[in-house]
Amino acid sequence: MLLEVRDLRVEFRTREGVAHAVNGVTYQVDAGETLAVLGESGSGKSVTAQAVMGILDMPPGRITGGEILFRGQDLLKLKEDERRRIRGAEMAMIFQDALSALNPVLTVGDQLAEMFVVHRGTSRKDARARAVELMDRVRIPAAAQRVRDYPHQFSGGMRQRIMIAMALALEPALVIADEPTTALDVTVQAQVMDLLAELRREYRMGLVLITHDLGVVADVADRIAVMYAGRIVESAPVHDLYKAPAHPYTRGLLDSIPRLDLKGRELYAIKGLPPSLTRIPPGCAFHPRCPMARDVCRTDPPPLYEVDQRRGSACHFWRECLDG
Amino acid sequence: MADTTKAGEPTDATPNVSGVQVVEAESEEQAVAALDEPVERGEPILQVRNLVKHFPLTQGILIKRQVGAVKAVDGISFDLYQGETLGIVGESGCGKSTVAKLLMNLERATAGEIFYKGQDITKLSGRALKAVRRNIQMIFQDPYTSLNPRMTVGDIIGEPFDIHPEVAPKGDRRRRVQELLDVVGLNPEYINRYPHQFSGGQRQRIGIARGLALNPEVIICDEPVSALDVSVQAQVINLMERLQDEFNLSYIFIAHDLSIVRHISDRVGVMYLGRMAEIGTDEQIYEHPTHPYTQALLSAVPVPDPDAREHRERIILTGDVPSPANPPSGCRFRTRCWKAQDKCAEETPLLAIPERFKSSDSPAAHESACHFAEEKDVVHAA
Repeated sequence: MLLEVRDLRVEFRTREGVAHAVNGVTYQVDAGETLAVLGESGSGKSVTAQAVMGILDMPPGRITGGEILFRGQDLLKLKEDERRRIRGAEMAMIFQDALSALNPVLTVGDQLAEMFVVHRGTSRKDARARAVELMDRVRIPAAAQRVRDYPHQFSGGMRQRIMIAMALALEPALVIADEPTTALDVTVQAQVMDLLAELRREYRMGLVLITHDLGVVADVADRIAVMYAGRIVESAPVHDLYKAPAHPYTRGLLDSIPRLDLKGRELYAIKGLPPSLTRIPPGCAFHPRCPMARDVCRTDPPPLYEVDQRRGSACHFWRECLDG
Repeated sequence: MADTTKAGEPTDATPNVSGVQVVEAESEEQAVAALDEPVERGEPILQVRNLVKHFPLTQGILIKRQVGAVKAVDGISFDLYQGETLGIVGESGCGKSTVAKLLMNLERATAGEIFYKGQDITKLSGRALKAVRRNIQMIFQDPYTSLNPRMTVGDIIGEPFDIHPEVAPKGDRRRRVQELLDVVGLNPEYINRYPHQFSGGQRQRIGIARGLALNPEVIICDEPVSALDVSVQAQVINLMERLQDEFNLSYIFIAHDLSIVRHISDRVGVMYLGRMAEIGTDEQIYEHPTHPYTQALLSAVPVPDPDAREHRERIILTGDVPSPANPPSGCRFRTRCWKAQDKCAEETPLLAIPERFKSSDSPAAHESACHFAEEKDVVHAA
C-alpha cells in the first residue's frame, strides 16, 4: 500500500473554541490508483491532505491522533528534515489557485529548476533544460521561450499546467490534487484533467483528488471517499457508489444533481446546513439533516460498517439506504 | 449572402429594432405610466438589440490616450419574455457579467439599445429611469461581499425603500421586511442580526429578499449559487423557482454550471468572447446544438455517471480563449474551432437560423452564429 491514513485526528484552536476538523479519517491509496475525496467546504478534506503533506499550520492546527503511513513508514514520527526530503520528491501537491501557489517574483523556469537543484543537486544549467522539457511535457506552447516568463503572464489553464509540471518534476509516487480545476473554465478543465490522467497513467502514480464535484469524480476516479464533518461517511469503488449509495448523505448529494427527467420539478435538497466544526452534533454528525435518522443516530456515532469487502458506510441503517 | 457581413464592419451599422414595439413617450408622466403597464405572460418584456460595451484601454498618466478597447460585449441581441427564465452561459471573460451590468444600467452601453416594455432604458433619465430601476433588480454571486457587514439584515432589505418610499410607507417597513424574510425562508425574528451571523446559503436568501423588496418584474441573477455548497445550491434554486411562480417574475440567469442552467431555464443563450454564439430553448441547445462551441462546451462538462466514461465523445478544445482586447477577425471562435475555414476569418457569421434548417421544423432550426452549423448530439453520446 502506497499511502494509508489511519484514524487521523486534527483540531484547530479558534476564538470560538476547538474546531474538530478531522475526526478519525481512514483511507488508503495504492500505486496507480485514483482516490477521490469528496466533501463540502469544512468537511476536512483539505486539512487531511495538508496533514499528509506535512504542511498543516501548527499552531493553530494540532494533530491529536492517528497515523499516516507512506510505504509503511509513519510520517508523523519523522523529523522535519526527513519529511522535507520526502515532500516534493516522493509526494507532491497540486493546489487549487495556481496564481497564489506560484511565486510571483520568480520566473516559472526558476521555480521548476529549483526542484532539481534542491532535491537532486543538478547544476543550474541542466536544471533549466529539465524545466523546458517539463513545460513541453505538460504541453505549454513555445516552452523554450516561455520558461523566462512570470506566473502572471500565463492564463489560468497554463498556470495550472505549470503547477502540474512542478508537482510531477521529480516523478513522485503520490500526488495530492486539491480542487485542481475548480478555478478553471469547463473547456480548460477538461484539458487539464485529461493531462493529469495521462501523466498519472504514464508514471503509475497514486493520485488523491480532492473535489466537491460529483461530475469530476465520475470522470476520473477509481474509488471515492465521501467526507462529512471531518469523517469518512462512505468509501466505495466509484461505479458501486453512483449505482447505489450506502449513506444518506451521499444519496442526498446524488439526488440533488439536476436531472433531465426531473426538469420543472423541485430539486431534491438536503435540508439544513453543514454543522459548525466547534459544535458537531453528538451521535451521527449528519442526523439533524438526515431523512432516515432515528433515536440511535442521536446518541451513538456509527462506525464505518463493512458493506462488502471493498466498501464501507458510516450509517447505522446502511442496508436500508442501499435498498433505496 | 443575406446573413453575413464583411469582417471588420460593425454589426450595428443597420439600426435593428426588429420585433420591438417602440413606445414613444411624449412626457415623463407618460413614460412612467407606460413602464407601470403590466406585460402579458409570454410577451417580450426586455429586448436587447446590438448591445455593445467597449472598455477603453489607455496609456499615459497625465495625458491619457486610448490605445485600444476591451470588447467585452460586442453586438448582442436577445429577448426576454414575461414569466420565463433565460439562461446565459459562457466561460469567464465572455461578457456575461457585463451584460448583467448593462441591463441594470450600472454601465453605460457603448452602442445598442435595451428596450424595457418598448422604451430604450439606455436613453431614459429622471423619474422614468428610477421607475425602471425599481422594476429590474439583481441578485449577486458572492453573498459575502454583496451585503454590508455593518448593517443589520433589516436595514439591508429595507434600504431600497429609502429610495422608493412609495413602495412601503415608513411605518410599514418593519412589517414588510419581516414578510420578505418569511418569504425567503428565514426566521422574521432575525431582522436585527448582522450578515456574519448567517451561513452562505442564508446570506444568499437575504440578497434575494433585498432583490424582491420593490416588487420587481425582472431579476438579473449573476451566478447566484456558484459560491454555495452543493447541498445548499438545490435549496436556493428551489426557492428561486417558487418565487418566480409566486410573484410572476422574469429571470435572466447567468451561470457557468450548465446542468443548473438547464434545470431552471426555458431558453438558453451561449456566449463566447462578447458575442452570442447560439440561442434557443433548453431542448434545442442541449439536445440539438448546432454551434461548434456549444458542442464543445457541452461535451466538456463532467457527467456524474461513471458508466458514461467509456462511451462518451469528448471534444477537447485546444488553446485558450483569445483576449477580448484583440479578438480574432470574423468568427470569434475560429481560432479554437476544428471546422474553421478561410470564410470564418473573412465573414462574421450572424446570429440567425441557419439556411439549411430554415424550412425544417426540426429542433436544429434555432439561431446559431456559425457558417457551418450542423447538428451534433453531444449530450446523448453520454
